[in-house]
Amino acid sequence: MKYFVLGDEDAVLGFELAGVSGARAATAEEAEEAFRKALLEGDTGILIITEEVADLIRHVVDRHLFSENFPLIVEIPGSRRTGQPGRDIRALVNEAIGIKL
Amino acid sequence: MKNVAPNRSNYIKLKDELKFARLGHELLDQKRNILVIELLTLVDQTVDYQSRVEAALARAYASLQEAVMVMGKLKVANLSGAVNMQAAIVLKERRVMGVRLPVVETEFTGEGPYFSPLDTSLRVEEALAAFKNALSLMGRLAELKVSLMRLAREAKKTIRKVNALEKIAIPDLKETLKWTEGRLEEAEREGFLLMKMVKSRLEKSKGGGDGAAL
Repeated sequence: MKYFVLGDEDAVLGFELAGVSGARAATAEEAEEAFRKALLEGDTGILIITEEVADLIRHVVDRHLFSENFPLIVEIPGSRRTGQPGRDIRALVNEAIGIKL
Repeated sequence: MKNVAPNRSNYIKLKDELKFARLGHELLDQKRNILVIELLTLVDQTVDYQSRVEAALARAYASLQEAVMVMGKLKVANLSGAVNMQAAIVLKERRVMGVRLPVVETEFTGEGPYFSPLDTSLRVEEALAAFKNALSLMGRLAELKVSLMRLAREAKKTIRKVNALEKIAIPDLKETLKWTEGRLEEAEREGFLLMKMVKSRLEKSKGGGDGAAL
C-alpha cells in the first residue's frame, strides 16, 4: 500500500520529494476527479489531503471518512496556511457525531 | 402498545421479552462505557499527534521553500523524480467491540543518496528528511483519526440504542405487562364471582324447592 497526496502545488512537490505520488488540485472539479482517481487506484492506503482542497469537496471527503475502509484519509494544513490552527479534533468529533468528549 | 390479547400465554411471552430487553440494555450499557473510555484515550493521543504532525509539516514546508528559493521550483521538481524512495504502508486491523480499526505501519525502502550533491542545495536534503519524518507521523495520525471517527460513530449508535431501550422499549413493555396482568386478575375475579353466584343459586334452590327446577 502506498501514500497518495492531494493538495496545492507546494505540498505535492514536497511529498514527491519523499517519494509519494500526488495530484495537484485547485478547483472543486479537479479535486473531486483526483479524489475519485485516487480511490480507484487500489494501491492507495493513505490519502493525504490538504485542508484547503478537502474543504472544496467536503461532502465527498466526509462521506468517505465515515463509510468505507480504504484508503484512510488524513487532512493536513496546506503550505500557504497562515498559522491559525486547523479544526480541533474534539470539535470535529462533536460536530460529526454529536457527542461531547 | 396494548394491541395484545390479555391472555396467559401472551403474559408469559411479554415477561420473557422484558427480561430480554433488560439483558440487552445491560450489555449495551457496558458496550457504551467501553467505547467511551476507548474514545477518551484516543482523543488525547490524536490531539498529541495532530500537533506533532503540524509542527513537522511546518518545518518541512519551510525547508522546501528555502530549497525552492535557492534552486528554483523546476529543479526541485526534477530532483523529486530522481528520488526512488518508496513509502510503503502495512495495514493491520484491530477490533474494539466489533468495530474494525486500522493499524498503520509505515516502512521506507530505498537508500540515499538519491542525487549528486554537486549543483544541488543542502536544503533539498533537509526538506526530504523533513517530509519523510512528517510522513511517518502522518501514518499514525491517519490511524488514530480514522479509529476515532469509527469508534465515535459506533458510540453514537450504541447510545441511541441504549436510550431507545431505556426510555421507550422497557417502559412500554412494563406498561403492557401491567395492563395484561390487571386484565388477567380481573378475569379471574369475574370467574370466581360467577362460580360463587352459581353455587349460592344452587344452594338456594336446593333449600327451597328440594330438587325443584334449577
